[in-house]
Amino acid sequence: MSFPSLSEDQLDALREISNIGMGHAATALSQLIGETIYLRVPRVTVTDIAQVPELLGGAERVVAGITLQVLGDARGNILLIFPRDSAQRLLARLLGSEEEGLLFNELGSSTMKEVGNILASAYLNAMGSLLHLTLIPSVPLLACDMAGAVVDYVLIELSAAGDLALMVETEFHGVDPGEELIKGHFFLLPDARSLELILDVVGGRR
Amino acid sequence: MSDRLSVGIAEIRIAEPPARLVTYGLGSCVAITLFDAERCLGGLAHTLLPSAHRAGDVHRPAKFVDAAIEAMAAELVARGAARQRLAAKIFGGANMFEPLLGAADNAVGARNIRSARETLVALAIPLLAEDVGGNFGRTVEFDLASGRVRVRAVRGREGEMLF
Repeated sequence: MSFPSLSEDQLDALREISNIGMGHAATALSQLIGETIYLRVPRVTVTDIAQVPELLGGAERVVAGITLQVLGDARGNILLIFPRDSAQRLLARLLGSEEEGLLFNELGSSTMKEVGNILASAYLNAMGSLLHLTLIPSVPLLACDMAGAVVDYVLIELSAAGDLALMVETEFHGVDPGEELIKGHFFLLPDARSLELILDVVGGRR
Repeated sequence: MSDRLSVGIAEIRIAEPPARLVTYGLGSCVAITLFDAERCLGGLAHTLLPSAHRAGDVHRPAKFVDAAIEAMAAELVARGAARQRLAAKIFGGANMFEPLLGAADNAVGARNIRSARETLVALAIPLLAEDVGGNFGRTVEFDLASGRVRVRAVRGREGEMLF
């Protein structure tokens, strides 16, 4: 199976699954920071691996990126990308400290990983119980660096199997319309075989 | 600024002065520059995986360190560079998520670096400089007028370095 041959029904199914998963993740995040979290309609993109950094807002933009592998019945990667200032604000909210280098110290980075863990677990739990699949997140990994450098590990893995990446993306953001806005992007990148399995289960046959 | 040509992931570009070839945000990927200083002709490749020959896959040589170096050298010679004057520099191959992905030796960044060095030895292309490894991203800018390569990092170390 190749990624580009997805039908409109299949794309809808992926968006819907992701919306449910992300709904649970957003609830978890909003309980964590005591603020309502809003979701955009998920986007499903099939693209050449070379285009992925552009879709993340540019290869050189500095981000806090958390990656987790999806283990269990389906395989793939989850990427959680926060612009640097959003990550900074998220940490300030969680830790009650405005310290500058927070993102790079032990406490800050383990807090970010824990946020990644909570969001990914909520997402995969919801998706797994919907699809009757066991989906387990791996230990989260964190890097705060240029977006291209943060994601190329995932692209390398995908590129070993082909030239394309399928991304299910949801943008989320807090309420504050001003400077204090917390926003981020949640990406699911299933491998080709797992995508097939997921689509089989939802019945969105080609 | 219009002289700046961007090189994407899994891409090879050849250029002459006054162009500068730039590739942004290298993590575990490896970028290779080849340069004929006399002819002032050079190329930059941004590669993902160590070996096309081992993967048995050559339909997109720029994805692979070994195939990209071979393809780029051939293209430079076809465009008028002298094979024996080509010299290389390599960049990237970081391990962005150090502690958890097993031994650093087996991480894909380290394998990419090894493949680049081995391929250059096999092709008898001298390796003039390298800025590889670590756990931070790099942006690489190759100035075809001077053959110098400027490397920018936002983490791990401050500012820019010239190679």
